[in-house]
Amino acid sequence: MIRSNGAALSPKEARTENFGTTVAYALAIGTFVLLAVFVVMRQTRPFDLAAVLPYRDDIMAGFWRTIWVSLVSLIWSTSLGFFFYLLSASRVRYFRAFTDVFTEIIYGTPLLVMIMIMAFVIGPAFGSRNRAVMGYVGLIVYITPYMTNIFKSAIASIGSEQYMAMDLFGFTPFQRYRYIIIPQIVRILMPPLMNNFSLIIKGSALLNVLSYRELFYEVTLMTNNNFRFVEGFLLMWGLYLIITIPLSQITKWIDRRWGI
Amino acid sequence: MKIELDGLTHRYDVDVLRDLAISIEGYSSIAIIGVSGSGKSTLLRILSGLEKPTRGHVQVNSHDVTAPEYRKSVGFVFQSHNLFPHLTLLQNITLVLEKTRGFTKKEAHEQAEKYLSLLHLSDQTHKLPRNVSGGQAQRASLARALSVNPEVIFLDEPTSALDPVLTYEVLSAIKELRELGMEFVLVSHVMSFVHDFADYVVFMKDGEIAEHGPPAMLDNPQTQALKDFMEKVP
Repeated sequence: MIRSNGAALSPKEARTENFGTTVAYALAIGTFVLLAVFVVMRQTRPFDLAAVLPYRDDIMAGFWRTIWVSLVSLIWSTSLGFFFYLLSASRVRYFRAFTDVFTEIIYGTPLLVMIMIMAFVIGPAFGSRNRAVMGYVGLIVYITPYMTNIFKSAIASIGSEQYMAMDLFGFTPFQRYRYIIIPQIVRILMPPLMNNFSLIIKGSALLNVLSYRELFYEVTLMTNNNFRFVEGFLLMWGLYLIITIPLSQITKWIDRRWGI
Repeated sequence: MKIELDGLTHRYDVDVLRDLAISIEGYSSIAIIGVSGSGKSTLLRILSGLEKPTRGHVQVNSHDVTAPEYRKSVGFVFQSHNLFPHLTLLQNITLVLEKTRGFTKKEAHEQAEKYLSLLHLSDQTHKLPRNVSGGQAQRASLARALSVNPEVIFLDEPTSALDPVLTYEVLSAIKELRELGMEFVLVSHVMSFVHDFADYVVFMKDGEIAEHGPPAMLDNPQTQALKDFMEKVP
């Protein structure tokens, strides 16, 4: 551990510092737990998580569908994002302009609007009446420019001085990619890729408007039947955090462990 | 070392080197000095084989510098350390030796350890470049350049990115290496270092060699250009 001025801390100072940080985090988490307890206590109806039990299987199926849909979207948007990166790095001016315009349009569009347009406007124009699938495509298309961007910045981060060194020692093109370029890009890419994955998971909740049976949809379905809004929505919130918080922690860990 | 230039001209958009001809023999540490844009870095890059001259013949130790195998016999240290950031100091050397020089894993490891310890980096071998100081990284870069057993080592302003303390650290390391019999061609702005390190100095101005000779010439410049230069640099 180092001070802000760059000097190293003594082991004793480092322990005190670590202890202080741990306490601060415990207190912060405690604050939010208390807030949750307070909110639950303030409800007019007694809090009864057991009311959710009969819907357990549906909700868990929704939970897994959320993860599944997000994973598939991640793979597709990463591939499409890389393809668009290639276009944006192309010598053909039209391709570069195309990716720029595409990015501007997507950046200016709310995700919900994108999903609706895909499902109700663009999908039918291409003969697809399957709204859930087209909504899905909307999600993938929406994330694609964000993926393109992380490829751009990862590849740009390998500076010209490294290429000079590769030239100097006479690495073959294969060796350059295998030992120098790809290992760096993978490390640079991982944290923002994980962030985008989180973005997808959160965005997938919007697919419920198309009756896609993911987590949000299943929970809403239950609350419409048993009116257990408090239990249902808190449970749903918790389930989203169960996916996203470990993900962001892994991202930070990767960055610390492998960052360059 | 022996350097021969004959009708060397190099062009980017304009002529950066103009019809250079010189023959230097019997010196072991040659410094190229001059203001920015005088063509000294370009000359160094051509001498090291990193860049092909537009016209003319260039030989170093009787090797044609444009021959593909020549590049394998030189070491080059850049202004910034240019280490691969995802590899430790040790791996930066072993990768080069194993993949481009045909060393076995064990040989590469031994060779890397040897040169890192020569540059006083034995306790830093398993650190990533970002976790060592700029001076240590530059010394590791020097170790990497040495590890391929080059005939000549080219240094392109190796301390321009460093503060005075780190500069001193790197320059001392280079001096130690000269004592071991290594041969250098360097571009440097640190005149005090050029003065007591180099045994031959080439002064460049506007793409031409304006003056050259043993370092004593710095105290007694013959041309107005070198006189002006020496007044301006610290």
